[in-house]
Amino acid sequence: MLSKPTTQQIILDCRRELLETIDPAVTDPAVKVAIQMLENVLRNCAERAAHEIAWMREESDLMMAFARDVRDALGSSTSLDAAIAAHQSGDNETLDLDAVSDSYGRAGECFSEALESVFAAGHDQLHLRGREILALRLAHEDAIKGDWGFVGRG
Amino acid sequence: MIESSVMPARLEAFLAEHAGQRATVTGYEPMSGGYSRLMALATIQWADGSTEKMVLRGDPPPGKSMMDTDRATEWGLLSALGRADSIPMPAARYFDPTGDRLGTKCIVLDFVEGRSLQSHLNDCTDGNFGRHTFDLVDTMARVHSIDPNDVGDAIARPTDWESYISGLIDRFRQADRAHVESNPFLRYVAEWLDANKPAPLPLRIVHSDFQPANIMVTPDGSHRVIDWELTHIGDPREDLGYYAVYSASSGPSLIMSDPLAFLARYRERTGFGEDTINLGTLAYFSSLAAISVYAQILGGAAAMSRGLNSGIMTTYTINALTIGHANFMSACLAPSN
Repeated sequence: MLSKPTTQQIILDCRRELLETIDPAVTDPAVKVAIQMLENVLRNCAERAAHEIAWMREESDLMMAFARDVRDALGSSTSLDAAIAAHQSGDNETLDLDAVSDSYGRAGECFSEALESVFAAGHDQLHLRGREILALRLAHEDAIKGDWGFVGRG
Repeated sequence: MIESSVMPARLEAFLAEHAGQRATVTGYEPMSGGYSRLMALATIQWADGSTEKMVLRGDPPPGKSMMDTDRATEWGLLSALGRADSIPMPAARYFDPTGDRLGTKCIVLDFVEGRSLQSHLNDCTDGNFGRHTFDLVDTMARVHSIDPNDVGDAIARPTDWESYISGLIDRFRQADRAHVESNPFLRYVAEWLDANKPAPLPLRIVHSDFQPANIMVTPDGSHRVIDWELTHIGDPREDLGYYAVYSASSGPSLIMSDPLAFLARYRERTGFGEDTINLGTLAYFSSLAAISVYAQILGGAAAMSRGLNSGIMTTYTINALTIGHANFMSACLAPSN
């Protein structure tokens, strides 16, 4: 395949075309708003295309390590054990986007179950570590979002 | 409903059927500014010679909606609020419950002369919002002063505060279960909210999308609240929290420049005490209240993922979920704090 220009570059060039060629030719206010929204979504997609597989893998590793440590520290629970087993039985190796996304979802379920165990136990140290993982997840989401506001409202 | 070539004739036939006199639609144009529903402005000339403007508010085509709400419920609510004269708002005049007449399930409302409060705020400079801040607080307090009996059985009435709040918290878990992938933010927030419930307040009408784009300012400066599609009976602090979150991401925020003054005015207008209306409960409800709109947007994203929905509105508003996550994490304090 041709890897360069990268997907990120191609999408950003489409965004430029949208803003510089298409938008000036449009007068309908509703379509203008749609163009502003499209511009934003294209930026979202460009950022995701550049990083999403690496970010999901990074977070998955942290979430699974957390889930196992919670099980070790607080003991087994049926739901946490089942979530970890489901993660382990799935495909966590393939790098195609759908496979990585599915694996990420299974890791997220383990993480969620572990967080609930931490709350039930009132374990502050694990609570704080869980928040650090959530903060990383949020940082990735924020990078994808970029500047954003409700365009066209009012 | 937005096809200007066919809608005037359809609307004329509909009005002739429901209004008791013939009408000529002399103008018809789609309106922008709303996200969830289709809107259009119609200019009507009645057979008796009078003219007026009306707003049509209807469902988008199937598979094109960023959120699903029920027009029949909204019509019942608007009609009840109008009959009780509960709060100044545009009158809901007519309803096509099937879409057979107007192309989609559609409510026809009075048009409000003026501009939205958001539009007024956009004109303000240097953080000088004049009377708008307290006007906004007063309008919110008016919504929360409506007697819930005014709406009869148009919307569900919870039995008590404790079970209502627990149910609202559980909606975070339900949203997670219904989604196409696990969302740890939702499970974390649900646990935090369960562990940190505030003192209760009487259950009241909650607008649920209380923000300046949904407040029309008439030429005399008075307010008309619009867009009641998510309204329910619940804890009035939901609207305070929702407004704080919404305005933080889509400003200007009239609360964050001086939240203590904002809350003091709200307490003065509602009679609620400082034990229930304070910075702590504002933070709590800024998380809790977000679930109504959050769950709708997440549902739209899930439908798209399943191939059941499409449209720029759905993909664009996915970013609002990230705003929600940021708000959850800032409002749900870490144990060391």
